[in-house]
Amino acid sequence: MKLELGYIDIKGIRFDDYNAIEDGVLVINPEELVKPVLEDELIKSAHFEIAEPGESIRITPVKDVIEPRVKVEGPGAIFPGMIAKVDTVGSGRTHVMRGMAVVTAGPIVGFQEGIIDMTGPGADYTPFSQLHNLVLAMEMEDSGASAHEYEKAARMAGLATAARVGELARELVPDEIEVFETPTIAQSYSDELKDLPRVAYVMMLQSQGLLHDTYCYGVDAKRTLTTMISATEVMDGAIVSGNCVSACDKNTTYHHLNNPVIQDLFKQHGKTLNYVGTIITNENVYLADKLRSSDWTAKLADFLSLDAAIVSQEGFGNPDTDLILNCKKLEAKGIKTVIITDEYAGQDGKSQSLADADVAADAVVTGGNANETIVLPPMDHVIGTLNYVDKIAGGHDGSLRPDGSIEAELQVITGSTNEMGFNRLSAR
Amino acid sequence: MSSKTYKVVTNNPLVKESLGESTELYYFEDDTHRDILERVRDFVHQGYRILTHPLAGSVKPWETPYRSVMITAEGEDKIDIFSLEIIEQAIYALEKLKARPVVWSEKVLVDFQLIDLSLIQSALPSAEAQGRQ
Repeated sequence: MKLELGYIDIKGIRFDDYNAIEDGVLVINPEELVKPVLEDELIKSAHFEIAEPGESIRITPVKDVIEPRVKVEGPGAIFPGMIAKVDTVGSGRTHVMRGMAVVTAGPIVGFQEGIIDMTGPGADYTPFSQLHNLVLAMEMEDSGASAHEYEKAARMAGLATAARVGELARELVPDEIEVFETPTIAQSYSDELKDLPRVAYVMMLQSQGLLHDTYCYGVDAKRTLTTMISATEVMDGAIVSGNCVSACDKNTTYHHLNNPVIQDLFKQHGKTLNYVGTIITNENVYLADKLRSSDWTAKLADFLSLDAAIVSQEGFGNPDTDLILNCKKLEAKGIKTVIITDEYAGQDGKSQSLADADVAADAVVTGGNANETIVLPPMDHVIGTLNYVDKIAGGHDGSLRPDGSIEAELQVITGSTNEMGFNRLSAR
Repeated sequence: MSSKTYKVVTNNPLVKESLGESTELYYFEDDTHRDILERVRDFVHQGYRILTHPLAGSVKPWETPYRSVMITAEGEDKIDIFSLEIIEQAIYALEKLKARPVVWSEKVLVDFQLIDLSLIQSALPSAEAQGRQ
């Protein structure tokens, strides 16, 4: 498949009584944009706020982060199976509003997670402090509907808003165009590629239940067999997040759209390696599903005649079992495997990092230790609510201090130990 | 009459309420999260196999008081090493991180019950489809 991404660089956001993109500034009429959100009876209240890099703003609790995009040429539309029909995406041209995101915030359940600080020490640990954020803060109706229904309402509101904002970029001339082309199996044996090591990306998707789900073309990843997808389909929003537990290592929709493993594999494709394909697999609770899914990962990898594979995961605890199963089985096929993960090594960093281990997992890239503690200074303004910070994963009684500062583990920060390797902090 | 090939070890009252009629439970109302994991380990020592991961979900085991784990309905003559490794790793994960305590409100406890229920429910279609475990 061949997809052109046309980047429209967003330099700021402001509110006015019309919607447009003017010289890189997104102008939004917030009353107009919020109307369709409020049509959902489950949403009691919703409003937009702007959070710019460097501002003394804390956004919490964060549900999802989504980059506005719009398909301008080629079949299908952004977020197939969710907002758009199920037609296959990943070819033609898509415009990307680069440098901004729609952030959904608000409580679904009583324990919450996800903090984005736009300045201060916390800003270093989340990539979203660098973006111009249009925050959709929502509150759910206390109507006795199930938490599943509230989660879906929040999820769809975020995706629909990002798609509506993305529409504003449809007619613009991009600031930059990048072309991505995924080879067929026959093309992967062309003269230019045949002597390079054959590498695939194995993307593990969280798939465990309420607040722990991922969707591919609208299909709940719990119900899929391991399969293949074109990397360009992922760029068109084929995979979206329904996962909002464990802020540090859940993959937001933004992470999926801007998957760094995919980005880096394309940069090396045709030069140091042959990026032959992308395998997606799941992280089910049922152990036989884990065995089956990892067997299929190895089977597809073998079918692709891979020399090497990169495996990324999502979430805490039991996915480590899937990660190690995938790694072991790939290595057993003679496929050199690198895994990307984060760690829960205790506040002193001395405990075993993963819930599972094997000698075959000898090439590991870490996204960092989620148990590292941090003190986040008070911010001038909170979008969302701080009522939940004591209830945030990684927080504890007394986390929220009287002066508004927060003492907690890195776990609380959205994207801080991302297991696709999205972040750039490193250590010697 | 069909008999299930699996049972659920749990301390979650919402699991008892929602699945008690349709699923065989080992329900221990007063057990802590850690207690449940140790009971599962005891079952493994008696030849039962674990069917769902004891660290299901991303809510941390030291935060949620509720845990449900699916095991085989009958024990076998030998210990399943895969099950043993998994339960030992799960207990270790709970032990190694000495988190400071949080006192949860009733609402939050209900939410944790809901998440735990959803996690064990997510395994039911696979458990039912599989037949012989």
